[in-house]
Amino acid sequence: MLIQILNGVVYGGLLYLLAVGLVLIFGLREVVNFAHGSLFMVGAYVGFSLAAAGFWWLGLVVSVVAMAIGGCVIDATVFRTLRKQDHMITVLVTFGILLMLETLVTVIWGKAYLRYPVPQLLDGTVTIDGSPFPIYRLFVIAVSIAVALSLTIWLRFTRIGLHVRAASADPRITAIQGINVDRVSLVVVGLGTALAGLSGVVAGPLLTLSPTMGNYILIDSFMVVVIGGLGSFAGAFFAALLIGQIHNLGAIYLPWAATMLPFLLMVAILIWRPTGFAGSRT
Amino acid sequence: MSATALSDAKAPARRPRRSVAAILMLAVVGLAAGAALPMIVSSKIMLSLLAQAIFDALLATSVGFLVLQNGRVSFGQAAFFGLGGYIFGVVVARKLLTPELALLIALVVPSLVAFLLGLVIARITGVAHAMLTLAVGQAFYEVVFRWRELAKGDDGMSFDLPGRLLGFSARSLQDPAVMVVIAWTVLVLALLGITLFARSQIGQITAAIRDNEERARFIGYSTTIPRALVYAIAALLAAIAGVMQAIYNGYIAPQMFHWSLSGAALIMAVVGGAKTIIGPAIGAIVFFYLKDFAGKVAEYWPAIVGGVLVLVTLTMPRGIMGVVQGFTSRWRGSP
Repeated sequence: MLIQILNGVVYGGLLYLLAVGLVLIFGLREVVNFAHGSLFMVGAYVGFSLAAAGFWWLGLVVSVVAMAIGGCVIDATVFRTLRKQDHMITVLVTFGILLMLETLVTVIWGKAYLRYPVPQLLDGTVTIDGSPFPIYRLFVIAVSIAVALSLTIWLRFTRIGLHVRAASADPRITAIQGINVDRVSLVVVGLGTALAGLSGVVAGPLLTLSPTMGNYILIDSFMVVVIGGLGSFAGAFFAALLIGQIHNLGAIYLPWAATMLPFLLMVAILIWRPTGFAGSRT
Repeated sequence: MSATALSDAKAPARRPRRSVAAILMLAVVGLAAGAALPMIVSSKIMLSLLAQAIFDALLATSVGFLVLQNGRVSFGQAAFFGLGGYIFGVVVARKLLTPELALLIALVVPSLVAFLLGLVIARITGVAHAMLTLAVGQAFYEVVFRWRELAKGDDGMSFDLPGRLLGFSARSLQDPAVMVVIAWTVLVLALLGITLFARSQIGQITAAIRDNEERARFIGYSTTIPRALVYAIAALLAAIAGVMQAIYNGYIAPQMFHWSLSGAALIMAVVGGAKTIIGPAIGAIVFFYLKDFAGKVAEYWPAIVGGVLVLVTLTMPRGIMGVVQGFTSRWRGSP
């Protein structure tokens, strides 16, 4: 039982890494990034190429940096250009980016499923509650906790964190106060996509790699964002843990309904509280 | 700045309204053009492509209608497209009812589902609404994907059409020269119906609710029912498209529910101009032929489609009809 709960925490942690990136980007640009799942996927492939050559940790770093740069490019070319347009149009552009990235990966790596190796350092299992548990999964949990903690500290106690929170609350008034929202946004979008790359690499050994691997987890993280309350960091954290548990326990105890449970939960929560747990703006 | 810019759209400056007679004339011309199509175009392949483009056009019109009349962006309209096709396909394949009744419930049930859903989800705006509809659509997809006994799950199911349907023989319904005329006629009538709806009293009320729900409630209108009604009409259009596609192909598959189809429909609507009645249909036809062309030129057509989408939305965010309107208003001289 404890093992099952831990597995749920692992999936919840991955969802958190993706969802918090979406929340960051949404806060600044009021755009839901449909390309987030494909950045996750590209990150996994980039990391995979280096890991297959024997440089697992280098793959992690390169993937995170590459996705951060990619995010900054998207922010500077797409989000900034379209900031005065209808946000739905920007969402459609990110959908176009999704199509392009999926095709790009298919061209480079092919459609076949690939297996991402586990780093030697984290290979093996430990015994928890009488059953073996892969060390790598503990590492995934540790990464998500570390990200959650450092993100909270960064947002609470640094100057730029203050600017990010202010811009999330109201970009226009923040700009009037003399803060360069475009520059803040560059950092935030880059950070969000870097987290997508990070979760792609970290999730790699747990999933099989395919060009469409980002789609399912993207929809799950959308649900996390909606349930948590759009734009809420704490909401996303708790919603991710909740969906992780439901996803996992549902697959074991209610296999026929497992895929429906998160949807039903989301609809139920939205009927109860149309703005989600944390009830922020929409 | 709000995330719901489409819903907060300012009402367009009132242009002189065309009279009902002029609209009916346009519709008659449209219908006549459709009837003449098989005589002008002789290639079966061209006609078949056009028929499929029209199915897409009807689905895009459904998405556009929701934006135009409700100010809500749906990322899950394929749910009703698939629902219509599946209900018709499954009922006909199992011979549960007469084909005419199957057709009727394949159109009524999706509308009813949308009406009930509309009562709940109409309260949610903007991006959250898009994500919610996406999730609802995917939920339907998951059900038909996994429920193998229903219609063979992932493989999809072929079914034989009944001998006759509404006086047409089954074989003629799968003949592109016949289907293209039927689909075209349905599309023209749907566009006519939407135009008349927008001018009717209930259409004006829904427009008022879209522009400012609180104010509409203050004046004394119930706002939930008209909104749900718009969801139902939009779902009806999508279901008609789904049923026509199912009849034409004699085949149903879970892809009819998939979010990439919903997304494509939304793209078509925006490319064509979601704030006009005819824009989504034009966008769908353009998009369909672009996809077809890209598919012929390169194996990796989604990248081409995605690239064009990015470029088009960056350069003309109001869509094709936005550009056309820009030209015509300049031609008329700005007021």
